[in-house]
Amino acid sequence: MKLSGLSVDQAPPISAPLRFFLTAPLFGMIAGILILLSDSSTLMSRYSIDSIVVTHAITIGIFAFIMFGALTQMLPVLAGAKIERVKQVTLFAYLMLTLGLLAMIIGLKYELPSFTSFAYIGLGLGFFTMILSIVYAMRNVENFTATIKGMVASLFFAFFIASMGIFLLYEYATKSISQYHYLVANVHSVWAIFGFCGLLIIGVAFQVLPMFYVAPKFKQFCKKRVVVLISTGLVIWLVLNQFYEQYELIAKIWIALFFWAFATTVWLKFNKRKRPISDVTVWYWRTSSIFLTLGSFLWIFDEFFKHEYIVMVGVLVGGGFVLSIMIGMLYKIVPFLVWFHLNAMGYMSIPTINEMIDKGLAKIQFTLLILSLIGFIFAFYIPQLLAPSAVYFIISMLLLEYNVLTPVLIYKKIKKKKPDFDMSVFSIQGKN
Amino acid sequence: MSTIQEYLTNDHRKCDEIFAKMEEQAGSSLESTRTFAEEFVADMEHHFQMEERVMFPEFEQKTGMTQGPTEMMRQEHTQMRSLFSQLLNAINENNNDRFFGTSETLMILLQQHNMKEEQMLYAMAQQHLSAESDRIVAMMDSLIVE
Repeated sequence: MKLSGLSVDQAPPISAPLRFFLTAPLFGMIAGILILLSDSSTLMSRYSIDSIVVTHAITIGIFAFIMFGALTQMLPVLAGAKIERVKQVTLFAYLMLTLGLLAMIIGLKYELPSFTSFAYIGLGLGFFTMILSIVYAMRNVENFTATIKGMVASLFFAFFIASMGIFLLYEYATKSISQYHYLVANVHSVWAIFGFCGLLIIGVAFQVLPMFYVAPKFKQFCKKRVVVLISTGLVIWLVLNQFYEQYELIAKIWIALFFWAFATTVWLKFNKRKRPISDVTVWYWRTSSIFLTLGSFLWIFDEFFKHEYIVMVGVLVGGGFVLSIMIGMLYKIVPFLVWFHLNAMGYMSIPTINEMIDKGLAKIQFTLLILSLIGFIFAFYIPQLLAPSAVYFIISMLLLEYNVLTPVLIYKKIKKKKPDFDMSVFSIQGKN
Repeated sequence: MSTIQEYLTNDHRKCDEIFAKMEEQAGSSLESTRTFAEEFVADMEHHFQMEERVMFPEFEQKTGMTQGPTEMMRQEHTQMRSLFSQLLNAINENNNDRFFGTSETLMILLQQHNMKEEQMLYAMAQQHLSAESDRIVAMMDSLIVE
């Protein structure tokens, strides 16, 4: 067993995760602007170019960025594993993902094949660099906890969705839409949300809820089986979807039921938590449970309405569940990282993590986001709601950027001063 | 008798519970949580000393790793001890914001520290020290805080 994760000297440099975290809200703003520029009727079709562009500004720009940042940070703590040459690897992947995503947005939106071609290369390199280096870092992990199993399953799906994404973009770039295009696109989207994002969130929740909120632990059945059962469900769904479409609903019910059960469990765990503190992160967990419940059921009902509501399902599950939890976690991770790194460098008189982010602004950010999500849902019936909701979304992302940037600015300011203690005596360079 | 890993992990959970009680009580008033805060700090100090005075030296002697993971854990103990005194100061000054700010920071630092210990260090200690497990647990159990 490697113990490298126990050394602060070997923890990733603070810039590695922060770079991903600080960029995510910027892509959120871009997504909001793209919604403003789009017509509501085209956004109601999941395969319209406008929908694809907006969706990926959010799913890659926010979700994947936050997940890769968090994985970089969590690997040493949760698995005792460390990405080799973490500084260079994450910087390279970050640049590829950022440039690739921008090229994808421009290439698809303005029909510029050269941009779209660059996009699949950049995004492919970015995704595969991160996925493969994390998997490689985990090769020596012996103690496979439920959280690590969630991470591995999530990365398994990430590998396939990235491959499918490259294929789909390649077809757009070469303007050769094959007969498989929409089949692949459907699998790509379901595996991305429920496999890549959903399984990672579930895996992390096993650890985070009992630890940060002193909520009761998840039952052994949940921790041992749920990730495997959902993963199996997703693979079975793929087979049924491609070959036995009439039975596809069974697999969908299977997957949706587990996610609904997870949402309910999270809600109940928060009711029973021993730590009474209620902050905006608790609000985010709570609302994400509600949105996930609604989204899971609507995904099933949608089957009976010729997929009329699939965009609404996307807003509920993608925005209400995945995005909510990720923002909630950012509010915990970023101030802690700043505090931890400063403290480890010997700075003792620094603000506590509660003092780094303005609680009032975090609550306004939360409220605006929830209002925008509700607006997006009802824009299905009242198209006039789309523009104001997009504006709320943009302001909410702007506030999020400000809120996560504040601790980083505190970090930069304090680092210019002399530390209270010289911590170099504790420094151990790879002696273990 | 429980193993080293089980014994120390259970002790973490005991400390978590008293921490939660302390915060809950602090919701009414800081003064009323003083007893819980003192109990929490005392329990944590007891836990740290079980590690620093018993388990870590045994681990270091067996593995020869004196500057490695145990040293890092000691450093994090120092960080937490500093937060303990800030927490008690916040109660003395009746400063609500400072108290909850410190408790939140402490909670996250403590939890990621526990995670590293439980998933790596304790597992490894159990592996190396399994033959002496009962003796080490008995020593930790009878430890008197200095």
